[in-house]
Amino acid sequence: MTIASDDPRVAAVTAPPPDAPPAAPAAAPRRRRARLTRNRWGYAYVAPFFLLFGAFSLYPFLYTAYISLHEVRLSDIDGAEFVGFGNYTALLQNEFFWNAARNTLTIGILSTVPQLCIALGLAHLLNYRLRGRTFFRVAMLMPYATSIAAATLVFGQLFGHDYGLINALLQGLGLDRVDWEAGTLSSQVAISVIVTWRWTGYNALIYLAAMQAIPNDLYEAATLDGASRWKQFIHVTVPALKPTILFTIVVSTIGAVQLFGEPLLFSGNGMTNGGASNQYQTLGLLMYDQGWTNFRLGQAAATAWAMFLIILVVVGACALIARRRARAER
Amino acid sequence: MATVTFEQATRIYPRADRPAVDTLDLAIGDGELLVLVGPSGCGKSTSLRMLAGLEEVDAGSIRIGDRDVTDSPPKDRDIAMVFQNYALYPHMTVAENMGFALRIAGVGKADIGRRVAEAARILDLEPYLARRPKALSGGQRQRVAMGRAIVRQPQVFLMDEPLSNLDAKLRVQTRTQIAALQRRLVVTTVYVTHDQVEAMTMGDRVAVLKDGVLQQCDAPGTLYDRPANTFVAGFIGSPAMNVVTGPGVDGGVRLGGAVLPVPRERLARASAGSGRITVGFRPEAVDLRAGDGVPVVVDVVEQLGSDACLYATLGAADDGDVLHTADLVVRTEPRSAPAVGEPVTLRVREDHLHVFDPVTQLRVD
Repeated sequence: MTIASDDPRVAAVTAPPPDAPPAAPAAAPRRRRARLTRNRWGYAYVAPFFLLFGAFSLYPFLYTAYISLHEVRLSDIDGAEFVGFGNYTALLQNEFFWNAARNTLTIGILSTVPQLCIALGLAHLLNYRLRGRTFFRVAMLMPYATSIAAATLVFGQLFGHDYGLINALLQGLGLDRVDWEAGTLSSQVAISVIVTWRWTGYNALIYLAAMQAIPNDLYEAATLDGASRWKQFIHVTVPALKPTILFTIVVSTIGAVQLFGEPLLFSGNGMTNGGASNQYQTLGLLMYDQGWTNFRLGQAAATAWAMFLIILVVVGACALIARRRARAER
Repeated sequence: MATVTFEQATRIYPRADRPAVDTLDLAIGDGELLVLVGPSGCGKSTSLRMLAGLEEVDAGSIRIGDRDVTDSPPKDRDIAMVFQNYALYPHMTVAENMGFALRIAGVGKADIGRRVAEAARILDLEPYLARRPKALSGGQRQRVAMGRAIVRQPQVFLMDEPLSNLDAKLRVQTRTQIAALQRRLVVTTVYVTHDQVEAMTMGDRVAVLKDGVLQQCDAPGTLYDRPANTFVAGFIGSPAMNVVTGPGVDGGVRLGGAVLPVPRERLARASAGSGRITVGFRPEAVDLRAGDGVPVVVDVVEQLGSDACLYATLGAADDGDVLHTADLVVRTEPRSAPAVGEPVTLRVREDHLHVFDPVTQLRVD
């Protein structure tokens, strides 16, 4: 129950005892106070979370919004100058922003789509009675437990131009070496590989958990109906996983919009420009670049808010699609 | 249309110490409704799943018609199954559920529509064809599961406790409908249940299993009148048959100080090994009388309206040598039922007395 609940039923339940003064206008605040005291332990128990949330999430969030409306230099934080939506209009006219947005989109698609498809396939395989199932399940979570820095450094080596394992393999197959870091598509593919490697197992475990909730007799019925394993996957497993798939799409999309560590470390030199021609600079890198390389905090805050709004739009669209589908199925 | 034959069919689950189904021999006639019945864990569902191809056959063979299907995959067996929980596809409509097998088999859309409509008409499902299973009641779901089987026009129907998720009243209604439908379609059907009333009312023949071993397979009437052993005697019939073991004496078995007469020849054969004899009598095969007979004390009287059930224990002079696991049950006229605590004597109508060997537990005729 929320504090400000105006539900008449709630009011009836929490009505004051009969000896309370019947004066109608005075009753409302008194009732609210009574409700607060009665529920004081409930509020006490949830308070620690909301204190932390307020201090470390809500306040920075709102303060970022405040900053984004000002011209602020990192060297002189107190000397903020109100510029209204100036930072936002500047952002929309900034070619770097559109470049970063485009990069974020392509890397997002290149990583999210294969990541979720592979995860679904892996989960399907792990759902069978395999020998050493537990081992595989733990093994799948290993990339997720690895630090981004370690993983990216290793992958940076693998994708290296002169001594990288992947180019060595390409050469062994008689193909040309690829300068992974320099090309636009190649660098984005390489970064997507790192992201996919890290998150596939995590998503597979989520899918696996959902798959295990599907009753086995559905598969038996489908077997008797003559459906092959593949048809069972299409007609039994995937429909049952729809809500889970939507959830992973939302989570992966949020992760993709905020992508930062992998492209930062992929360059190998800690530069935030995302390659010589910004070919893999994501929104996250751009924001960092603006704030901590160019010291323009107001601009960086505006970028942060733009990223947040993009996530809101994407998640909202997903929710809308889900609701429409659910209504159609009713 | 086909017969079904189990030949020495055996299933041993990995790491189990005894077979779940032990050398099952069973021949099911064309168009017959055979009921597999037994207590839980008796192997009845496993037998059905072996026939469906959902369970391996470790030894022996299973034939449908002339085809040996022991090792063929489920889809090649031309069977349809109704599951206990119906196993309807939750995201498909009723029509899609019923037509799924045909769709997989590549049957044309028009054909599927026609066959689904036909099945829906038979099962009164026409108003619900566009609904999803979760928008249906339990009874409707059960009918959709039936419809899914009918649409396939298989050689054999398999039903795994299809009524156990329905409430008591609907169960009685549906069981009549299923039996009638089966007789109308004349499709060989194997029906699994743990409920002996269901088995008796529905089956052309009933196969009773216990611990994976077939005890008896006969028409319901035969099963009731001539149970092959004490297990079948106690399992079939409600209330259950009274089965009592006591010392064999001249002319019968001594129970509670009195002698219950047993025909001489059967007495001799049944008691030959141990000197004891097991007799069984159904609750309705008893006459209550004052005077001579086996003395019992009435513990409980259950008034059912049409008749009354007395639960009684053997009277005073129990020799300590009599084994009976439960109270003796007597079915009697409701108006003339004796009161609780009243001592009465009971006599068993002679042609309704079952005699068993106490060692082998087998029937003696």
